[in-house]
Amino acid sequence: MEKPYAVRKATSHLMAALTVLSAGMSAGLLLLLLVYVVRQGAAALNWDFFTKNPVPVGEPGGGIANAIVGTFVVVGLAALFALPIGIGSGIYLSEFGRNRFGDVVRFLADVLSGVPSIIMGIFAYVLIVARQGHFSALSGGFALGVMMLPVVTRTTEEMLRMVPDSVREAGLALGLPRWRVLVHAVIPAASRGILTGVVLALARVAGETAPLLFTAFGNPYFSLDINQPIATLPHTLFNYAISPYDDWHLKAWGAALVLTGLVFIASLLVRLLGAREMST
Amino acid sequence: MMIRKRRGPVLVLVLILLLAFLSACGGAKPVSAPAQGGEASGKPITITGAGATFPYPLYSKWFYVYSTQVDPTVRFNYQSIGSGGGIRQIMAKTVDFGASDAILTEEEKAAAPDLRMFPTVAGGVVVAYNLTDAGGKPVGKGLKLTPQALAGIFLGTITRWNDPAIAQVNPDIALPDAEIAVAHRSDGSGTTFLFTSYLAQVSPEWREKVGAGKAVNWPVGIGGKGNEGVAGVLRQQPNSIGYIELAYAVQNHIPYAALQNREGNFVEPSLDSIVAASNAYAGEMPDDLGQLLVNAPGKDSYPIAGYTFILLYQDMPNCLKASKIHDFMVWALTEGDGYARELLYAPLGEQVEKKVIAKLNTLTCEGGKPLPGK
Repeated sequence: MEKPYAVRKATSHLMAALTVLSAGMSAGLLLLLLVYVVRQGAAALNWDFFTKNPVPVGEPGGGIANAIVGTFVVVGLAALFALPIGIGSGIYLSEFGRNRFGDVVRFLADVLSGVPSIIMGIFAYVLIVARQGHFSALSGGFALGVMMLPVVTRTTEEMLRMVPDSVREAGLALGLPRWRVLVHAVIPAASRGILTGVVLALARVAGETAPLLFTAFGNPYFSLDINQPIATLPHTLFNYAISPYDDWHLKAWGAALVLTGLVFIASLLVRLLGAREMST
Repeated sequence: MMIRKRRGPVLVLVLILLLAFLSACGGAKPVSAPAQGGEASGKPITITGAGATFPYPLYSKWFYVYSTQVDPTVRFNYQSIGSGGGIRQIMAKTVDFGASDAILTEEEKAAAPDLRMFPTVAGGVVVAYNLTDAGGKPVGKGLKLTPQALAGIFLGTITRWNDPAIAQVNPDIALPDAEIAVAHRSDGSGTTFLFTSYLAQVSPEWREKVGAGKAVNWPVGIGGKGNEGVAGVLRQQPNSIGYIELAYAVQNHIPYAALQNREGNFVEPSLDSIVAASNAYAGEMPDDLGQLLVNAPGKDSYPIAGYTFILLYQDMPNCLKASKIHDFMVWALTEGDGYARELLYAPLGEQVEKKVIAKLNTLTCEGGKPLPGK
């Protein structure tokens, strides 16, 4: 019951064409989005936008300097929290975690990465904000850190797993203790992959609004104090976007452009890291 | 050789980890120390508030002007997380003041008996629509609605635009024989509270079947989140009707209806007709200042309006902050009227303003002390 060659060939071409179309569409949508954000947001960009704090409706000028810096502060705090724990547990899972406990951790990490981001915010609120009695950058960083944690853990594990066992065996055969093999052979081999995962996780949480609503809270002023509320880009964008004023809508687009730009730069960095890995 | 070459990246990674650990353990405390000493050393004190979305543009303007022109030693951080959120946060004492468009419910008053409401400005809820007449032309402003027709539409008993209940009072508009698409807020909101309170006042059927609240069980219609959500539904759905805040409708050029008030006049929502409603009710202002401005008497009164409130504790935990908040409030109520009008908020009438300021002057701090300098 074989179909004629021509039919099979035609079907094959058709299906291949469909996949090309899908690929084109997903790339096209992304491009469309980028072009749209740039077109809408470019008008908002000027020197003040990057260097000044927000002003209320009707006041000329003003920018989102506080939110740009705030995003770095909060994401930095998230990294401080998530990277040591995440990378550490990734190493454990890959090197020592082939047991019941490892399975449980792996399962929990997968569940954690599926928990809606708003829940992370509420968690941080209950754990930190409600106890301290005030909103803070610290609690925002913690909420984002909890979001990053499973991603960093699992990427680290995957990357270490990709290092062939022969590398470990070779190290052990040379008489190196296990920790030396890990630190000097296995982790270096996987370090670029781990870094890539880390940067992607950072870029991912940098765009989160929901976990920050009840933690970082927002602040119209410039602040570096991790115990005070702090402004962040996604939150500022959200506030401006739901306002009724054209001026604020424009600033929302500007903030969207800056945020997209930052994520774009982070992804580019990852690409460059990856390219260097290819060449070495 | 292989191992040597790879040492660079791993050193960096280890360094990052070490740094991260160190700053995570030791970093938090030193940074927080100057924040607490900051108040004494002339750094501006920051007052944090959260709540209603509706007055956010005005509050941010007030705060900005106040701390740049009146008192540079104070800064305000107000976040518009919604009325319900504002009430919750002030009750959890995570903020210095709350803000709400809805008056406190009996349960909330029971849970926080020390919490007081201070009206700042009034706003109106408009019935907005997207309507094309029988000839295919969009209907701009000018639609008139009676309370009965409005209740009927939102109850689902009036389903077509050319229903006699609507057509009777709109002889100038060729109403289409089209189904009415109803839009409402899907989130808990002060706007919904005012709108449903009004319907519950004018329609016994509404009172019985649906009632009033920040979120209700809508008999008909599609939900949208926030003013922008409802406006979005209106834009996409031809022949639709919904309710949004006046400032939002005006800023976004969305047409809205004139409503028949208690005296039988059709009144367009405007600052003047909202002030008229607030003045008409001024004599009946209750002692807790929690008053609704729905279905107000007076021939010029617009029937769906309400105050928005700042929530403060009668006895505030910090004397310095308390006196700063007090001074700001008095300034906003007296000097801030112009900014309010500019942004389409109705300032308080004289009688109400006096009552609010008198009540502000009764505030105490740190266990019954009078505010410093008062």
